[in-house]
Amino acid sequence: MVEENERPKRPARSLIFKAVKALAKSFIIYLLYLFVWSFFAQFESYVPGLQQIAENFVIVYILLGVFGDLVSGTVFQHFFNVARAFFVIGYLTLALQGGILNLEYMGVALTVDLRLFLMAAILLSLLSLAKSMLQAIKYMGEKAELTLNP
Amino acid sequence: MDVSIRMVSVVSAFFWVLLVAFFASAAYSVKDLHLSLENPQLSLTPDGCVVVSIPIKIENEGFYSLGEFNLTTRVADLNGTRITEGSTFIPLIKRGDRIVALHNLTFSVEILMEKGAYYLFNDSSFVVAALISMKLADAIPVKASSNFSVPWGAPFYNFHLEQPTFEPLNLTHIMVSVPISFENHASLEINGEISLHMYNSEGVCVGQGNSTIVAPQGAMYRGSVMLYVYASEIAGKGFFEVYFSTSFFSYGPLVIPHG
Repeated sequence: MVEENERPKRPARSLIFKAVKALAKSFIIYLLYLFVWSFFAQFESYVPGLQQIAENFVIVYILLGVFGDLVSGTVFQHFFNVARAFFVIGYLTLALQGGILNLEYMGVALTVDLRLFLMAAILLSLLSLAKSMLQAIKYMGEKAELTLNP
Repeated sequence: MDVSIRMVSVVSAFFWVLLVAFFASAAYSVKDLHLSLENPQLSLTPDGCVVVSIPIKIENEGFYSLGEFNLTTRVADLNGTRITEGSTFIPLIKRGDRIVALHNLTFSVEILMEKGAYYLFNDSSFVVAALISMKLADAIPVKASSNFSVPWGAPFYNFHLEQPTFEPLNLTHIMVSVPISFENHASLEINGEISLHMYNSEGVCVGQGNSTIVAPQGAMYRGSVMLYVYASEIAGKGFFEVYFSTSFFSYGPLVIPHG
């Protein structure tokens, strides 16, 4: 990272490279989403707006990832990574109604207890948050090191 | 620092994949879970209770076991008064298992009769509250509840005694023939006996008779009860007391005036 900062690439080329990288990542995430969605598609008729909920999540997740990639090599990358971790926690908590999902289908009241899943997802998001924090600390440390030892 | 960040990344990615894969496969397994209710069977206990056994067929062809399967039903009348309650619990349904469990609901007909002879002579409906709960993949608790109504068919629907006919037998006795009719709307055949006690206007029992009845499910029954009564004690008006006795229940008297 320090070496990269010492020898900055040409801005246009660097930006194109970052954009291609972000595009490739987004494409892979979208393919993963399509694959995972195929398992949940059967519930679409029972849970109104399920696909919309999942798509909104994926769109925002991908966008935050794209922005993070575009500003990679700067401190803003870590801001976006932290935002992404917070977004996952917040969105899952809201979309899963705090872990207890209450649905109604043809006169049948359905309650799905997803607290265990939500708890695991939040813990993993916190891990991602910790990772982003560590990366930010490392980045700032390297910046400080560069300033002190030019 | 680099190593720790990389380790956190690897661990986080690994567990994310594990979590999503588990959750997706558990959700996908639901489509291979088949639950069906077979035709209910009726049986009678020695203490005069009717047991309705509903066979529940469960086929778990998903990827995971099902834990703590529980079916609870509560039957109430239209006023919300509890009539019976039944529960079936299966601790574990392994992957690939096909299980037929019996869900038993015990009805005490005597108690039902205490709540009113209404159900003997009038069609009605019961409100059934059903609750199914289970743990998908032993980790995701799911509950489904529903209320629905079940029609009740009266075994002696539209029961009535028609105009009696009198035929002198000898100087002292008269044979009274009382035509009876009803429709059996119940879901079972009625086998039993109807006893008729005839009273005059002064409340004196002047004679009695009984008749065996066999009324198949959904059929109209027409028959008559013969009574031998004292000619001298018959007045113009009076009343009948009707007693019902079947293998499932006994009821009486039902008072019907005549004349």
